[in-house]
Amino acid sequence: MDWQALALTLKLATITTTILLCIAIPLAAWLALGRSRWRSVVQAVTALPLVLPPTVLGFYLLVLLGPLTGPGRAINQILGHPLAFSFAGLVVGSVIYSLPFAVQPIVAGFSAVDGSLIDAARLLGARPIRLVRTILVPLAGRSLLTAAVLSFLHTLGEFGVVLMLGGDIPGATRTLSIVLFNQVESFDYASANRTALLLLIFCAAALVVVYAAPKSIVRGPVEDHRG
Amino acid sequence: MALGILILPMAQAQQTGPLRIAAAADLQPVLPRLLEEFRKSTGIQIEATYEASAALTVQIQNGAPFDLFLSADLSYPKRLIDARLADTKGVPGAMESQPVIYARGALVLWTRKDGHWPNPSLDTLRDPALRRLAIANPERAPYGRAAIAALTSLKLLDALKPKLVTAENIAQAAQFAETGNADAGLISLTSASTDRLKSTGTAFVLPKGLYPPIEQGAAIVSRTGQRDNCLKFLAFLFSPPIKQELAKSGLTPVK
Repeated sequence: MDWQALALTLKLATITTTILLCIAIPLAAWLALGRSRWRSVVQAVTALPLVLPPTVLGFYLLVLLGPLTGPGRAINQILGHPLAFSFAGLVVGSVIYSLPFAVQPIVAGFSAVDGSLIDAARLLGARPIRLVRTILVPLAGRSLLTAAVLSFLHTLGEFGVVLMLGGDIPGATRTLSIVLFNQVESFDYASANRTALLLLIFCAAALVVVYAAPKSIVRGPVEDHRG
Repeated sequence: MALGILILPMAQAQQTGPLRIAAAADLQPVLPRLLEEFRKSTGIQIEATYEASAALTVQIQNGAPFDLFLSADLSYPKRLIDARLADTKGVPGAMESQPVIYARGALVLWTRKDGHWPNPSLDTLRDPALRRLAIANPERAPYGRAAIAALTSLKLLDALKPKLVTAENIAQAAQFAETGNADAGLISLTSASTDRLKSTGTAFVLPKGLYPPIEQGAAIVSRTGQRDNCLKFLAFLFSPPIKQELAKSGLTPVK
């Protein structure tokens, strides 16, 4: 087993998931509660990575954000190296690539929260941030868990973007899915079997956790009042 | 009834389907033109899939519908021949259970003209300012193996190891360098001989003694239904005008 790749993959998935939750919660609240006419456009853009081939993303990150373009040179200045072949590049790619997996469950969870509770809170003068913190997040706890697990697993299984952008550098961009690919292509089926089995068991177990979780894990103040 | 209509043309298409070539990625800049010529002169439909030689070998082992394998080395076709999945029966001059060598590849150091090293040389590899050097995966691309051998002969492997970015195949290695994401690339002369790379960069051909020769071998996939067409294509590949064309494209003809 390639422990370095395993550690790197877990690190990538953890960082990606953390960033995604920070982006997805406010975005989902805006999508679920907002009345702006831009909502459908933003919703479409957010869902885009779901249907877009990873090669499209890989191409843009490699060429449009490569060292030969303006934005690419700016990135080069900030990071000190191009996005390609770096861990930072993989994080950027993963955040974009897994965005719908974080946003969509949370939008669904927030939308399912009883509208009268939200109206009551608004009437009592709760500002959006408080609304999200004390009502939406506690009541949509399960959707947050789903979003986190799906983003984590989707990043874990990312392949196309990493293959195009990664450069297969041990400790920086060699993730487990690349290791598995290398093992298969070098005829090392025994190792490939172990890597594949590990990924399979881990992903299956994580999904069981999601489906077995109670509807609302976080018991918020609102629910206590009702109970 | 409706199903029958759907299935019938498909069954026919399989019999008279195109000749499918599994081609090493270094042939990507060369082969399409040759296929077009072959198609024109013989009327035989032909198409190619480009990948690292090892990737193609795995695919053929697992039943991919290829008729002919053009590897970038001898070890991969040999592996298929030993597994009785490929052969060279009927190829003139072919040795028993050996792939036929159709060309010899060359490794070059390629850099962009607008980069730090507009005229690359072996000193470029020794320059500490070089941060990213693209190579093909040494475990499954013959050019990657040659790149590691060359760096080993130059006693630069340890110093350059942290700077290596490994591409899936040799065409991707060229792309890493061409897009400027890598400072330089150890790529195939075939890629470097394309109009695109000639206009954007400069190639330095590595001295032959630095790495074992990249002898490129072909073998016929044994379960093909188009052995005659495979033999026709190999004869075409060995014909003097095509050999000349290969030489221009960066593949030295053998004998």
